[in-house]
Amino acid sequence: MTRKIYAAATAIAIATTPAYAANEAVDQADVLDTYADIAAAAYGDSLTTAQALQAAVEALISDPSAETLDAAKAAWKEARVPYQQSEVFRFGNPIVDDWEGKVNAWPLDEGLIDYVDGSYGGATDENQYAVLNVVANPTFTLSGEEVDASEITPDLLENTLQEADGVESNVATGYHAIEFLLWGQDLNGTDKGAGARPWTDYATGEACTNDNCDRRGAYLKAATDLLVSDLEYMAAQWGDTGDARKTLMDDPDAGVAAILTGMGSLSYGEQAGERMKLGVLLNDPEEEHDCFSDNTYNSHFYDGLGVHNVYYGQYVGVDGRVVSGASVSDLVAAADPEVDAALKADLDKTMFKLMAIKVAAEGGFSYDMMLARGNEQGEALIMGAVDALVQQTRGIERAVSALNLDDIGFEGSDSLDNPDAVFQ
Amino acid sequence: MRPTTLTARFLSAACLSAGLTWAALPAHAGLDEVIELHILPGTADFADATRRLSDAASADCRPDAVQSPYNAAFDAWMEISHLRFGPLEKNGRINAIAFWPDAKGFIGRSLGGLIADQDPIVNHPQDFGDVSVAARGLFALEMLLYDPQYADYDADSYTCRLVQAISVDLARMADGIDADWRTTQAPEMRSAGQDGNTTYLSRDEVTQALYTALLAGLEFTADQRIGRPLGTFDRPRPARAEARRSDRSLRNVVLSLEALRDLSGALADVAIPVTEAAFDTALAEAGELNDPVFAGVGDPTGRLKVEIVQQRIQAVRRAVEGEIGAALGVTAGFNSADGD
Repeated sequence: MTRKIYAAATAIAIATTPAYAANEAVDQADVLDTYADIAAAAYGDSLTTAQALQAAVEALISDPSAETLDAAKAAWKEARVPYQQSEVFRFGNPIVDDWEGKVNAWPLDEGLIDYVDGSYGGATDENQYAVLNVVANPTFTLSGEEVDASEITPDLLENTLQEADGVESNVATGYHAIEFLLWGQDLNGTDKGAGARPWTDYATGEACTNDNCDRRGAYLKAATDLLVSDLEYMAAQWGDTGDARKTLMDDPDAGVAAILTGMGSLSYGEQAGERMKLGVLLNDPEEEHDCFSDNTYNSHFYDGLGVHNVYYGQYVGVDGRVVSGASVSDLVAAADPEVDAALKADLDKTMFKLMAIKVAAEGGFSYDMMLARGNEQGEALIMGAVDALVQQTRGIERAVSALNLDDIGFEGSDSLDNPDAVFQ
Repeated sequence: MRPTTLTARFLSAACLSAGLTWAALPAHAGLDEVIELHILPGTADFADATRRLSDAASADCRPDAVQSPYNAAFDAWMEISHLRFGPLEKNGRINAIAFWPDAKGFIGRSLGGLIADQDPIVNHPQDFGDVSVAARGLFALEMLLYDPQYADYDADSYTCRLVQAISVDLARMADGIDADWRTTQAPEMRSAGQDGNTTYLSRDEVTQALYTALLAGLEFTADQRIGRPLGTFDRPRPARAEARRSDRSLRNVVLSLEALRDLSGALADVAIPVTEAAFDTALAEAGELNDPVFAGVGDPTGRLKVEIVQQRIQAVRRAVEGEIGAALGVTAGFNSADGD
């Protein structure tokens, strides 16, 4: 059935100028092109904004001051705008999913990296290294092995500390490790306020607070350098000859299914469930996705926008450049206009609900306040977006059915991804 | 096995409501059978068992008196815990009833906070739903009833009232689930495709929701209930076993398999010999495993036995896909475990 659509689309494309308006046949390959172009643009923007962050971090380390710390924080927030829009590429594209933990792993036991408040607690059943504090300790024992951390390098972070002892919350790299190093712990609970790390944590000589400022700076630099090199890698995967693009194009049916898998898995299990609903249910600001910076509302907003982007086939870059073209929406509209219209309405509604959270947060009702026990307005705002995300997931399932694409779902299950492995 | 009256009733309903699209489908899911024989008995059992738990705790809150009805309530939960949509998803009930896994130790921290503050919320058990899900439900109760750090509390202690409040809250949620299934969810599923039903636009969507729950349930038991304590060969994680404090880890695996086999039989309208055989094998392996909390994952022999159970459950899932999925012409939708 899907092949038939594809063949018909090809025939029409030969006969006429390709047109992407709804109700006209659309070439799957063009849709995949748009999707890969958006990915290339989003990762490209993620890279350039991370490079700006890298420069700001270098300025902070070479000339520590309140101003250079603020500039680095601002650069971090800007870097999140394109990156969060790229999260929709994660599920459904193994090349992204296998890599993603290096750059955006969360939640983290930040005591692995640097000093923490006494209220944080110590090592736990789950994580013996929850307060390892690499910044303060040039040598330590990890899973029975002596580690020389006298020099803090990208290699140390990536190959020794990341997921140390097989514990996922030992996050040593990526945006959230950097976020912690810039903001510090948010000790305001469900009251307003982000982390308040003093700039003097990076000062030299006598002015240094909380000790080991040079090692802290070295950690921040290593983590930022690593983020840049990781993003360089991923941007290249979506280039004209990149593997991610090639994998997608090799099997157009699977490629379109991958787009919808990414949309649905991010919308439901990840964003609505893990990132938004759970925080409300736990009343715990540590469950905020960007808990140090209080930038969570933006992360949620741009995650949602990423899903919106790939369905509509349009992305607005950080320099204002617009990428657009044949879209999944066009494909679905050709198969079933009602399903397409309903899903578009669902996606638009989600953006409206996420915008409501953003508006409230920027107006002073911060995301951690929304999570407080008994805060009905906050709960209503967040659950409004959760419900919209769940609703759009149903719409995505309907789009899958309309396109007759099977075998979607169950992302990330080793046993299902590789069902024969268990008997080998 | 399946009463013909149910089949006939279902078929006529399907034909009336869905018309032509249904003619193309290879088989019909046993929707009425799933609802009448699998789901509603389960939600009623859970409501009854939690009511008994709540009554027992209010009469005598101490562990000796509460542990037995607690286990009965957990057993009843296992009959329905895989139905992670609709009434179980509403208001975060599933998270509140069964907050597990708890990788960041929220349960201990939340309970410790309430106890340290002598939080007066326990005096208003009907409002206990306002507190963090980590301090609610079966796993919070398990911590208080079994963990040596808490379980020696007196009848006039704060912890005693906390146990009572959690039990009342559980019974309230279970009652809500049972009521929602009867008054809203079941009618919505039965009227799929009819005018005004915006939840299920066709019977296919209902079938897919149930089929997704079946596969996700198998996945959860294999990957989480068994996978978490297994950890890796070099780093086994017995402390991560589900409900290990109450010695229920293996029991929960067995009960979940029994519940999922029940759902499989009800959902399929055709004989499913391969699936039945796969369930038999998995249950037999689990039955022979003399390791109630998977403590043996650290030694090679014990580990192998647990791995074999996991593999048998993965085999069940493949059987379900090949047999039930193919017969119903359905594939899994998104489930709440997608993502990290």
